[in-house]
Amino acid sequence: MPLVTGQTVKQVMRDLYGYEISDADADAIAHSAGAMLTLAGHLGAIGLAGIEPPFGYPVLLAEAARLAKARS
Amino acid sequence: MSIPFQELLDFDVATLSGKLRARDISPVELTEAYLARIEQTDGSLRAYITVTDTLARKAAKKAEAELAAGKWRGPLHGVPIALKDLVYTKGLRTTGGSKILADFKPDHDATVWTRLKRAGAVLLGKLNLHEFAYGITSSNPHWGTVRNPYALDRIPGGSSGGAAAAIVARSAAATIGTDTGGSIRIPAALCGCVGLKPTWSRVSRYGVLPLAYTLDHVGPITRTVRDAAMMLQIIAGADRNDSTSSRERVPDFSAGLDGQISGMRIGVIRELNDGLSDDVARSFNAALETLRSLGATVDHVTIPSLPLAGVMNGIITWAEALEIHEDWMRTRPQDYGDDVRRILEIGMMTTATSYIRAQRARARTLAESIAVLADRDVLVAPASAIVAPKIGTTQILEAREDRVDVVAAILRFTQPFNSTGQPAIAIPTGLSPDGLPIAMQVIGRPFGESEVIRVAAAYERARGALAPPSEIA
Repeated sequence: MPLVTGQTVKQVMRDLYGYEISDADADAIAHSAGAMLTLAGHLGAIGLAGIEPPFGYPVLLAEAARLAKARS
Repeated sequence: MSIPFQELLDFDVATLSGKLRARDISPVELTEAYLARIEQTDGSLRAYITVTDTLARKAAKKAEAELAAGKWRGPLHGVPIALKDLVYTKGLRTTGGSKILADFKPDHDATVWTRLKRAGAVLLGKLNLHEFAYGITSSNPHWGTVRNPYALDRIPGGSSGGAAAAIVARSAAATIGTDTGGSIRIPAALCGCVGLKPTWSRVSRYGVLPLAYTLDHVGPITRTVRDAAMMLQIIAGADRNDSTSSRERVPDFSAGLDGQISGMRIGVIRELNDGLSDDVARSFNAALETLRSLGATVDHVTIPSLPLAGVMNGIITWAEALEIHEDWMRTRPQDYGDDVRRILEIGMMTTATSYIRAQRARARTLAESIAVLADRDVLVAPASAIVAPKIGTTQILEAREDRVDVVAAILRFTQPFNSTGQPAIAIPTGLSPDGLPIAMQVIGRPFGESEVIRVAAAYERARGALAPPSEIA
């Protein structure tokens, strides 16, 4: 299981989001996140070699064209 | 013009449409009947956040005048509908079910509402939901807990809980919901109505408050499959305001509604056929028998990576939802409900690598699904392992006497088709001995809504009418 601890959670919240949570809440978050990240690590086992992420250049172009049109 | 209110409310959209066009029913009278029904039921149900009664009356009068002048805009002309309250309505409060957007009035309409309005639909109001669509109970700490019309102490499912509750309670003729992990199909399944999640990109997401950009779908929740097809016909198609919307041809979704399914090939997804409650298993098996009796060939198929689709969905939603909410999580974390704030906090632990990996993995599951659909027309699976749980329940006892998480027991069946973006419809298969709705999903190839609709409609005809819930007061 990836090393997500309650202390890590508390520090992220404090440093990046500017608020504090209890130790118990931080531990619960660490447990849930750690379990999911462990499972995410298993995704490689289904054979991802050669698979591109589904972020195509056509969408980037289309979005840019839409924004350019909205500005003009 | 003397049809009793109750009878007016019992008509589905297809029936209403014919009667409105023939001027056997007045849009004004129909709208008044629905507004009275909302007044009668919504104290208990909490399906609505905002009732737009003044605007509805105005739109109904306009529809009446147009119909009297022979100007018919199409099958939704004069039909009272409602929108999940994350669909933008210009100048009208759109809360997303949140405190944060309690006073937000968009400066433009969502494309889906633009198209429905152009088709002559009458807006009754904006529907309650799980806060920011991020959950499946619709127990909303800011706008009230939506209740299941079949049992007021049970959840309606979510996040489009108000939409499904309003359909079943007869407080809207048709509704629009959204689905990121099952939020159209789950409430439809738990409330006993029809929920159609189209192929990703089939319906524009412009002006719909996002939960997760690459998983969000917009679609109808209705009483019948025919009504869902009619609604989809109006909202589907390319939109220049949504660069991700598909330019795929929009077929006539109603064309196969009355067709037979004899000779069609239906695959039962093995990975989604376990862990079911006894009632759900019995109902699902009976539905398969019905499909066989209609002449379809039913066999079992395997999609090996499907059990990991929930992980893909979870990681992607955590990351994308947090990106959307990040500023508010810095400045107004206290204004979120506890459950939504907690899941956004969990999302803070998502890594960039896990997000990219989850996105890449979607193609594997979709490829496997397309492969089994190469020689089958559609796939089927239960829509949930369980019937609607009681409000506040977090765990249930499974058949094997294990305690399982309620959310997992439901989402496991719907999330995979958000990851793959395939069209999927939830349709009731019956009621449990306790009188609670049970449903299955029919899943198609990408852009294969027509086959999904055809099979669901044939099944719906064979199944017959579902017993309605007891009167809601």
